[in-house]
Amino acid sequence: MAAFKRKRGELLSVNKKAKKGKIVVDQDNGEQERNDEVIVPAPVSMGKWTNKERVLIFSSRGINFRTRHLMQDLRTLMPHSKSDTKMDRKDKLLVINEVCEIKNCNKCIFFEAKKKQDLYMWISNSPHGPSAKFLVQNIHTLAELKMTGNCLRGSRPLLSFDPKFDKEPHYALLKELFIQTFSTPRYHPKSQPFVDHVFTFTIADDRIWFRNYQIVEEDASLVEIGPRFVLNLIKVFQGSFGGPTLYENPGFQSPNMHRRELRLAAAAKIREKQMVKEMQKLKRAEQKEPTCNDVTADVFLTPAEEKPLNIQTEAPEPKVMKKNKHKLCHQIRSLIKNLGR
Amino acid sequence: MEKGLKISPFSEQTNFFSAWSLQMNWKSFSSLLTMDTQQRRSQCPQDHTGNPETDGERNTPINRLMVIDSRIMESPEEAALMAEESEEETGNELSDGELQEAFAKGLLKPGMNVMVDKRKKFVNSVEGLKHCLADFRKDLPWPERLDMTNPPAEDILSKGQVTAQQASNGELDADDDFQREMFFYRQAQATVLESLPLLKMHGIVTKRPDDYFAEMAKSDQQMQKIRKKLLSKQMILDRSEKAKKLREQRKFGKKVQVEVIQKRQKEKKAMMSAVKKYQKGMTDKLDFLDGDKAKTPSDSSKKVTNKKGPNSKRKYKDQKFGFGGKKSGKKWNTKESFNDVSSFRAKVAHAKGGPRGKKGQKNSKQNKRPGKSVRRKMKSRS
Repeated sequence: MAAFKRKRGELLSVNKKAKKGKIVVDQDNGEQERNDEVIVPAPVSMGKWTNKERVLIFSSRGINFRTRHLMQDLRTLMPHSKSDTKMDRKDKLLVINEVCEIKNCNKCIFFEAKKKQDLYMWISNSPHGPSAKFLVQNIHTLAELKMTGNCLRGSRPLLSFDPKFDKEPHYALLKELFIQTFSTPRYHPKSQPFVDHVFTFTIADDRIWFRNYQIVEEDASLVEIGPRFVLNLIKVFQGSFGGPTLYENPGFQSPNMHRRELRLAAAAKIREKQMVKEMQKLKRAEQKEPTCNDVTADVFLTPAEEKPLNIQTEAPEPKVMKKNKHKLCHQIRSLIKNLGR
Repeated sequence: MEKGLKISPFSEQTNFFSAWSLQMNWKSFSSLLTMDTQQRRSQCPQDHTGNPETDGERNTPINRLMVIDSRIMESPEEAALMAEESEEETGNELSDGELQEAFAKGLLKPGMNVMVDKRKKFVNSVEGLKHCLADFRKDLPWPERLDMTNPPAEDILSKGQVTAQQASNGELDADDDFQREMFFYRQAQATVLESLPLLKMHGIVTKRPDDYFAEMAKSDQQMQKIRKKLLSKQMILDRSEKAKKLREQRKFGKKVQVEVIQKRQKEKKAMMSAVKKYQKGMTDKLDFLDGDKAKTPSDSSKKVTNKKGPNSKRKYKDQKFGFGGKKSGKKWNTKESFNDVSSFRAKVAHAKGGPRGKKGQKNSKQNKRPGKSVRRKMKSRS
């Protein structure tokens, strides 16, 4: 939406002053072009830039290198963006609205880093409009060597949305926000007239996945340019960086809670093991208790009868060896005896 | 009794009662009811759980009944849990008195009662969202926005193979990386395919002319790096493939080599034997070789004339033992050749030349072996 209405005449004059150099250049180019018969559309046709969208992209303190590169990448891809210095954490979020006003921006993308680990992203429509807070995950920047595509700096993107965006009201609102923020206005002075890349927004696993592809051929063969990230919606607010909550994501779990859960799970495991060990110890200790004297054990005991003491005074008689007639040694002996006789 | 509660010893709590019957009879129990609190504490058997809550609750026997009942019914493992929960509950501060009242009203039931968190309600004001959207929406023409909402394009490759996930619910599985990325790719493709005619209609150019040089999002340096990386990957792949092939070759190479050598040796042998055959005059055919035709005819003619005359013996020996030249490892006198009696001529051996007459006698005499004495003499002379 336009910030305030300007008179048509004013508009033209402003443009003329700013772009005089360009106009001259265009004319020269035009002559050359006429000679070569190659038509190159001028990036800015006078007075045609009506959609005055400006996006302010900046961050808070404590961001790491990946976030910084992501911010830079967004600034290169969106020619209608402006940058600002890092915001102190002690300032409240509502200050951002004032910053936007100073810079004459009507959209804002603000990156907030907490604990040097978690990255939150605010997208908002600056003075009155809705805003949304996301948790950003899985960041891959333009500079990664696996992203082999390339596009013109400042070329206008095509925006591709999942049909799921139309099914729920909060997704519909987000879609409108994305369209207004990410699409480069037509005839923007820094933009290139060609359309050679696509931004995709897809919903999977309750998250919004962002990809950027280069259009290589007219038959829609694509190569990824980057960057890529995943947005996990936290809340949608009615006002910019504040105001009543319109939507809260029930499936969202803050990264702190997530880490806490992991730690608790690990601790519970260890505690369980310890408990099991202790139980085993107790069982072993119980088993080692000496069994009490069983009262009923003596029930069937019958004391043995006393034997009479037999004191032997005489030596016992020598034993008479019984001859085993079948034994071989005895047979031989008997033979020898017989022979001897 | 206190607080208007009825005593019903024969109520549902029969388990408890049977346990208690071991230790005291009905009379002593009834006496319990009338006794003073302090006296009761001294007389009654100690509760083995020793839970501080129950100790405090011995004001009324009914409460004791209720509380101890729940303690006895639970398993020893749950006791630990209950202890934990009771600790947590101290924050929520439902006092015992309130619990009693709640039980009386019938809100609480006997047994273990667990505090459950009230589920947090999440804000989702559909009205608010729609209102906000209506305010916020900017009705720009399509060439300004360039947006498109579309499902992904059809996948040509996996038309045949429908993954189980997609078949079942049509939801995208975010964990399957390849499938997910292909989904995004196809969505972008569909957008491009749909948008190109629209762009043409609105006169927005998509193709960049070749001589249009402008600043790119990634610098040339970056693109060089990317190219190098891709090339190096390709090289690594090639190298690994080469190494694999070499390894395989080495395995079979040796075999092939051996085979080839053997073949060559065979051929050489055959050639040499064929040549020698021809040399000896065994065969007249020259079609076993083409290259050596020039050599062999000139030599063969000379040799044939020379060796025809005195060669009968040689011929015979050759026929019997081979084609001359050193025979590697072959014996002159083998068992077979020794036992071979086929060439025995009785007439020649025993000089039975009868019909020849004198000539024959002469010849026979000439051929006849001299006697032993004669031979000895001959021998001594020589």
